[in-house]
Amino acid sequence: MDNIEPFINFTSRKLQYRVLFTLFLAIFLLALATGTGMAQENAEAAKTTEASAEATAEAEPEAPPEPYEVVDYRNFFGIDGRLIVWIIAELHLMFAAFVLAVPIFVVIIEMIGVKSGDIRFDNLAREFTKLLSAAFATTASLGGLLAFALYGLYPAFMRYMTDVFHPFMFIYALCFFGEVFCLYGYYYSWDLLSKTPKGKWIHISIGVMLNLFGTALMMLANSWATFMMSPGGINMETGTVTSLYHAFYNFLWMPVNIHRIIANVAFGGFVVGAYAAVKFMGSKTDEERAHYDWMGYIGNFIGLGALIPLPFAGYYLGREVYSASPVMGNIMMGGAFSWTFIIQAILIGMLFIGGNYYLWNGMSRIKGAERYTPYIKYINMVIFFCFAVWLTPHNLPLSGEERALIGEQYHPFSKFFGVMAAKNAVVNLLILSTFFSFLLYRRANKGETKPFSSHGSGARITLIITVGLTVMYLAWYALGLRGLDMEENILRYVSPLVSCLVIQIFAIVIALLLTFANKGKLAQIFLFVVTTVMAVMYFWYYGFVVMEKANLVLRYLSVTQVSIVISCLIVNTVIDVFLFKDAKEVGGIQWGKIPHRSQYALLLLCVAIVTLMGLMGFIRSGLRMNWHIYGYMQDTSAGSFTPSIAYMGWTVGLIVILFLALVALVFWLAGLADKKKKHA
Amino acid sequence: MRSFLNAVVFTVAVVGFFIYVCMYVTGLSGGGGGGGATGVSPEAGEKIFWGDGQCHTCHRIGTSGSATRGPDQEGLAARAEERAKETGLGSGLEYMVESIVNPSSHVVEGFDDIMPKVYDPPIMLDREKILAVLTYLQTLGGEPDIDAVAKFKDKIPEASKTKVVPWVPPIEVDPKEGEAVFFDETRDVTCSKCHVLNGKGSKVGPDLTGIGAVQTPQYLIESVLKPSDVIVKGFETMYLMTNDGMAYNGLLVSQDEEEVVLMVDEDGVMAEYVFYPDEIAQMQKQDVSIMPGNLSEMLTTKEFYGIISFLLSQK
Repeated sequence: MDNIEPFINFTSRKLQYRVLFTLFLAIFLLALATGTGMAQENAEAAKTTEASAEATAEAEPEAPPEPYEVVDYRNFFGIDGRLIVWIIAELHLMFAAFVLAVPIFVVIIEMIGVKSGDIRFDNLAREFTKLLSAAFATTASLGGLLAFALYGLYPAFMRYMTDVFHPFMFIYALCFFGEVFCLYGYYYSWDLLSKTPKGKWIHISIGVMLNLFGTALMMLANSWATFMMSPGGINMETGTVTSLYHAFYNFLWMPVNIHRIIANVAFGGFVVGAYAAVKFMGSKTDEERAHYDWMGYIGNFIGLGALIPLPFAGYYLGREVYSASPVMGNIMMGGAFSWTFIIQAILIGMLFIGGNYYLWNGMSRIKGAERYTPYIKYINMVIFFCFAVWLTPHNLPLSGEERALIGEQYHPFSKFFGVMAAKNAVVNLLILSTFFSFLLYRRANKGETKPFSSHGSGARITLIITVGLTVMYLAWYALGLRGLDMEENILRYVSPLVSCLVIQIFAIVIALLLTFANKGKLAQIFLFVVTTVMAVMYFWYYGFVVMEKANLVLRYLSVTQVSIVISCLIVNTVIDVFLFKDAKEVGGIQWGKIPHRSQYALLLLCVAIVTLMGLMGFIRSGLRMNWHIYGYMQDTSAGSFTPSIAYMGWTVGLIVILFLALVALVFWLAGLADKKKKHA
Repeated sequence: MRSFLNAVVFTVAVVGFFIYVCMYVTGLSGGGGGGGATGVSPEAGEKIFWGDGQCHTCHRIGTSGSATRGPDQEGLAARAEERAKETGLGSGLEYMVESIVNPSSHVVEGFDDIMPKVYDPPIMLDREKILAVLTYLQTLGGEPDIDAVAKFKDKIPEASKTKVVPWVPPIEVDPKEGEAVFFDETRDVTCSKCHVLNGKGSKVGPDLTGIGAVQTPQYLIESVLKPSDVIVKGFETMYLMTNDGMAYNGLLVSQDEEEVVLMVDEDGVMAEYVFYPDEIAQMQKQDVSIMPGNLSEMLTTKEFYGIISFLLSQK
């Protein structure tokens, strides 16, 4: 029987493209017609005005021409200008976070590929860069749109910002050129420069330059945003610039830079993790599944790796916000924005739980991991407990009946969970638990280890340097605490902090000696136990003492707590690297043999971090309350109020959906070329 | 395609959960911000205390609120009466007014000097709102008296919403020249010999880092010309006479049961002296600053205003 071709082949690609193009033309013409209609309406309105003006002119003497009116604020076709700027700024920020973060780990992955000779790393780096170049154009377009929106809707504010920062705006443009050239140079020279080792290193150098330009761009834009929060270098009454340097290097600039770099890496890692998850779920072959499973694992590894230090950077930023302006600090932690931190806790809880869940699922593809699975339920319990404490509100509102039953304003148990002392303790426990999960995952595949002494002097020197630097930092901070200029009755509450730092120094030195004596596992356990007892248990209790008796000491307690935990993470990581170096493998990792449900964990991580970025953007910007430039230029527009949390929820939800839809579109477009190649 | 749709449904569900939580939290926290409170009454004051005034971000009232940065305000009115007696003020209300108008004047022991002037940016409470808060504070351990509060109306500065005319030095000066004079070690008397600024200098007098952000030009001018008029707490001069009749004037560095340490000016060089309790015959605080009172004779007009301009630029 002959194959009869249908009159219209609905499955034809050509036809689909034609339909798409026709739709595009129709929408374009419709928009044009609407625009013309509006223009005509305006013209008619103008004619009517002219006609009435002529009629009036006949009766009365000619009125003077209307003076040019300087406008401070505008709306966008009836929509609140702030809402428009909010959405565009956040979308730009999210894309920017992605295109700034991905080059950081792409270059690292490419370097690992060169060093290890494993072509998979090179391919992975290239695949990430493909996503990057597709997202870059969208970032730039959104940046342009943001600038137009700001200049159009907030002209007075932008006039002042331009007056202050115009020299840096030119530098920004130059850096942008630098980034464009480096990005496209990096992407398109991949094949050309991969032929020789020298060429490969030149390629990596272009990647490093790309990162430098990207970071410079971020830092330049950060200085404008942080100037609005903690203005410096201007006369706060007249606005005259007294020091451009201080306007640029304002009080919150560096804390925001540090926080953003780390957060961007976590963001980029989780977004590529989600990309891999979607690809994995749609994979048809084992080979594809193995590739995207591995990609998802790398994305999660990067995201979680950056997520662990993020609370420390966040704490530093929060502390500096408080130092820059106690009023702003109070609004953040005790005022209008305190409830948003409960939502933040939920999102960060999702990230930690999702990350750990993915790791535990990942252990199912590793032979030998079953030795460690019994521990997972305990880690799970600890993480859920931490999560519960973290999201306990500071002031859990009780009904009249509840209050009468309890006999006081607060719940007898939950009141101990709602305050800073408890929250700091559980955040540190959460980080220690996740780090512990990481260590279990790392050793899932490893059997018998080699003695530390067999790794040679290089290992010894590395460990001594690590311990030396960590101990020096702890000692430096302890000495700083001893030298604090405080009243004697408050100063005595600082002494236990110094003692804990000294104990941690001794614990680290003991861990070093144990490792040298080929007892690395014991050293790790010992350091974990000492750290948990001090930084979690003791400081939880002591936090309450300090809050009650010497509130001023609380900030030093938090830093001491963080320092002790960080020192444990650093030293235990280095011990772990050498402990399992060249260890026997129990069984290989079977990439692709991971349950489907784990991929939803990767999706959850992506959605949670994108939402978290939206929420934190709202908090950072909203802290200025009704000020464009805090303490100097007031926002007198109709949209100067602080929106309710529900309003914020809807707006951020919309932004997240828009961003993810755009990302999906951009990634789909980036993948079209590959499909074409495959079909060819 | 199916897996992609599953991912979309999952994503929308997570975002939906986030929006639901936001709406739920709004229901819990409420939207009260103190807006709409008008008139001078305890009710309006209470709204402002928990809203626009942002007082609750540092002060709790008994079991209401949980902030611990500032003192608990429960029973404040009664306590203010006691404090007024201790500090020589006319009434508890006057003590409360002074604490709001000039928060640094009465810092409660154990707390940091962090309270902002609520009539200044960024809080900018207007006079009527401050009076309302005062009437509310009166109800905490006392009875409100709106007439008595109204008598302090003129003592409370009006929040400035319009731009203040900037301070301009009477002659043209360069802050950079002021900076050079401030740190000029070749002079007999140099500011940096006693003041730290951005980590440079000696810590004999108050640290002047960021002074431009917190002090007015008038305050700085008076502090340089008449240093004894306002002496920063903790930098008062101590007079000490030993049993053998030697007298010393200096800054109290430390004091405990075993020893007293004074920082004494020895011909322009600050030196520490240690005294043991059994050798001290007399010791009392002086109302004269250790800072030289004749700086106007040591500086030219241009140098003087240069230093003021330089200090004002330190924000």
